Amino acid sequence: MKIRGIQFSPLLGNIAKNMDFHTEEIRKATIENINLIIFPELSISGYQLKDIVYDVTLTPDDEIIKHLKTLSKNIDILVGAPYEEIPGIIYNCAFYFSKGEILHIHRKVQLPNFGMFEEQMIFKAGDTFRSFQVGEFTMGILICREILFPTIAYLYYLQNVDFLIGISNSPYRGLTKEGMASLKLWERLGEVFAVNYSQNYVFVNRSGFEDGIGFGGGSFFAQAGQGIIKKSPYFEDYTLDFEIDQESVRRARIGGNYLRDEKPTVILNELKRLLNA
Amino acid sequence: MLDFHLETVEKVVVAFIRDAVYKNSFKNGIVGVSGGIDSAVVLALTQRALGSEHTFGLLMPYKLSSPASLSDGKKICRQLRVSHDVVDISPSIDAYFDCFPAHKPMLIGNKCARERMSVLYDFSARKHALVIGTSNKSELLIGYSTIFGDSAAAFFPIGDLYKTQVFQLARCLGIPGEIIAKKPSADLWENQTDEGEIGITYKELDEILYLMVDCRLRLNAIEAAGYSKTTIEKVNRMIMNSQYKRTMPPVCKLLTRTVGIDFRYFRDWNK
Repeated sequence: MKIRGIQFSPLLGNIAKNMDFHTEEIRKATIENINLIIFPELSISGYQLKDIVYDVTLTPDDEIIKHLKTLSKNIDILVGAPYEEIPGIIYNCAFYFSKGEILHIHRKVQLPNFGMFEEQMIFKAGDTFRSFQVGEFTMGILICREILFPTIAYLYYLQNVDFLIGISNSPYRGLTKEGMASLKLWERLGEVFAVNYSQNYVFVNRSGFEDGIGFGGGSFFAQAGQGIIKKSPYFEDYTLDFEIDQESVRRARIGGNYLRDEKPTVILNELKRLLNA
Repeated sequence: MLDFHLETVEKVVVAFIRDAVYKNSFKNGIVGVSGGIDSAVVLALTQRALGSEHTFGLLMPYKLSSPASLSDGKKICRQLRVSHDVVDISPSIDAYFDCFPAHKPMLIGNKCARERMSVLYDFSARKHALVIGTSNKSELLIGYSTIFGDSAAAFFPIGDLYKTQVFQLARCLGIPGEIIAKKPSADLWENQTDEGEIGITYKELDEILYLMVDCRLRLNAIEAAGYSKTTIEKVNRMIMNSQYKRTMPPVCKLLTRTVGIDFRYFRDWNK
């Protein structure tokens, strides 16, 4: 499966221009025989939405959704957007379009709400982490902060996910002698997901600025059993192309035998004990 | 404690300037050049972001300004191949104080800062250039600025760098040694220095601010790290007492959605 991650800078609240960009990139990728194109979190709307969200959110009968369905007849598409599923209730969502339909929607569960983050001011939190099937691949989606909770990726791991997709709008911060501390965080977890959870994993982060807040890019592909093998530059726009296959997952599972040896029942019993304590 | 990866900062700040200028439909930036280190660094970063032909320096001496300030300001403009104008603000400042004499130097300092702001924004319109501010994190946090004077700008590229970090960046950017070597000063009278006025060295001030603001240490933990309680409390007071300079004026809330309170949008809205 040929996959393309688009590291770019959505314009804050400018849906028309962002959709033009998506359409162009999807058309280009279709011509180049890409099977799946992945855009970052909230790629259609921009990130620091605050009150803009009520004017730009997608709704179930939205023309943008119809347009993306049409574009997805010959290529799978993953985009991020606010979604007003029930009037007045908005989720931060990832939409997976395939064969002219919405195949899967993931509603972000972990909404950061501290420092510069105010997602709980505008979004309702989702409450599920469900894998979905795309041909021979079992996939799962994480949105930004969910990546930082390895227990969430663990839930996908137990669903035998072999391709995990993380989309993000991560602002960089924490300047040190080595660079921006926050950028390394995503890579450390990518290595864990690929090696310890034996999954192919892609991280697609945005670039650019919203007011003074900069987004770091640094999207990457981590191959099952190997870790990060392909990486985008930090801070800049970039197109990340890579391929996944079932064999790498099989080799990783045999090589580490982590999935075979996993003991979810023991974990569950211990969790019950902790929660009942 | 405050060492950082210089190349990352240069790359990020240059990209930020470019983004902020272009997103607001400008091609040019204008910087008030004082002859000091902050404006030299901002001018150098702007020149890297927009190119020499789209970067303007504006030198606005007052009759009490040190002659070295003007010559250092011209030097950095020449080094960066940036065109500049000199506007002597003495006639307009003196005309005002002839009518309303100043009884303390601070009045002259504030008036000069606001006159410079006024000239900068006039040149901004003349040259279709966005005003790029030169405030650093140390002065933003303690409020060592004139409200609606040097605190007025479209954005602050080095506003999240402490003064001691600005010095590090200046060396990396090739700012002339004499600008780096001189003591930071508002240049209002002979031998005036920032550190003399604030009453703390920038090194100590920046370390305390970093521990307090960035590391969120409690005051007693900062004291335990070896800083004097009196100084820590003074810095804390300066931060609290200058919050009004860092926010828009409060609007008396009467209706459902109020500007500055719950009418919440980024500046980049729909840009």
